[in-house]
Amino acid sequence: MITETGQIPLEDLMARAHRAIVAGQLAEAETVLDAALGRARESGDRREVDRAFCSRASLAIELGHGDAYIKELREILLRNADHDSCFLAAYGIARAYDFNKSYKKALFYARIARDRAEVLGRREWMASAYNQIGNLLVVDSFFEEACGEYEHALALVPADSEIRRALYEDNLGYCYIVKGRHAEGFRLLFKSYRTLRRLGAIRYAVGPRVSLCFAYLEIGRPRRAFLCGRPALETAEAEGQVEFVKNLLYLLGEAANLQGDVELARSYFSRLQREFYPGAGYLPDFLLAIDVRKLINLKA
Amino acid sequence: MATQKVRQIQLVGRKIRELRKEHKLTQVELSQRLGIQQSDLSRMEQGEYRVSLDTLFRILAEFQMSIGEFFDELAQESITPRDVRLVQQINALPHEAQREVEDFIAFKQAQDRRRGDEPGEPEGDEG
Repeated sequence: MITETGQIPLEDLMARAHRAIVAGQLAEAETVLDAALGRARESGDRREVDRAFCSRASLAIELGHGDAYIKELREILLRNADHDSCFLAAYGIARAYDFNKSYKKALFYARIARDRAEVLGRREWMASAYNQIGNLLVVDSFFEEACGEYEHALALVPADSEIRRALYEDNLGYCYIVKGRHAEGFRLLFKSYRTLRRLGAIRYAVGPRVSLCFAYLEIGRPRRAFLCGRPALETAEAEGQVEFVKNLLYLLGEAANLQGDVELARSYFSRLQREFYPGAGYLPDFLLAIDVRKLINLKA
Repeated sequence: MATQKVRQIQLVGRKIRELRKEHKLTQVELSQRLGIQQSDLSRMEQGEYRVSLDTLFRILAEFQMSIGEFFDELAQESITPRDVRLVQQINALPHEAQREVEDFIAFKQAQDRRRGDEPGEPEGDEG
């Protein structure tokens, strides 16, 4: 639709940006959101400007260049704008700090986002906020508390958001495994993996596979761990998921070592050292001799 | 391929604490070097805090780890990676084969002792 002045209305621009994001056309989405922000500023409607700015900032943050937006997002929050904008601003700031590894600051803002979402009563936003808080607690090894947040997120996530639900299940499943609640953890991790595989979300399906690989090691089934981790490594490599590749090289080395295949274990640990820790030549021998699983957080 | 489970030594928070003290570092000093919070390091030493592979290997690099340090009772003998590998290979053998290896080691030790009794015998020159 075109307005009388020949312009595309703001709502249409926002909807177009949303469609572009869902389709993975992020450069296109950035262009459209810039146009939307310009249109909102022309209108002089403070509320519209805030919402358009928050959307633009969120995308920039996800793309890794959101630092320049944090100051204005904080101003929106301090100005106590409408709850929608405050949620988006707080959630965006939390994401930005999360990317910068400032986890405690991120947690502070994530909790503000959750409070605003609760005031609004928007279940999908509440679910996102609870999941975000869970992720930040996991980074700090507060696994018990994270379980509570993820359980809330799962209770709130809309039924039709299958991928999001599956990702939350992976998060909670991993925490259950760390806490020794193996049966519950396996149930969630398998459910997550099956959902993502059914939906063809190959890239996302690596997450629960990594968690399952770790889970099988935890219950003393290194062969199953290996069978789970090996195809996950292939996918992670193909998809350029560097952190997953790193963790999988470690887990597969551990699985091979626990099966008694020292040479195979050495090959994984050596690759891990070569590709990620080139200055630490001692690592392969170290990992062959020392089990560090009790100190490792795969989601940190 | 050997199928017996390899016996590893488990690295736990308590060991990190021991290593830190051996290197005469306070929690504040070590946490600053690692770029983590002192409270997190404290929790790690108590077994309540887990870290990423990156952080763990930064810790090990900070201590300039040698594997021997983890073998408390044998630390003074500075165990090499080759020593560890040999132990792992022996552990991976079936019980009967492990006994055979032990018997062979005992035989070689006895042979060495006999040779040591013969003055002037050049080392490694067995003809």
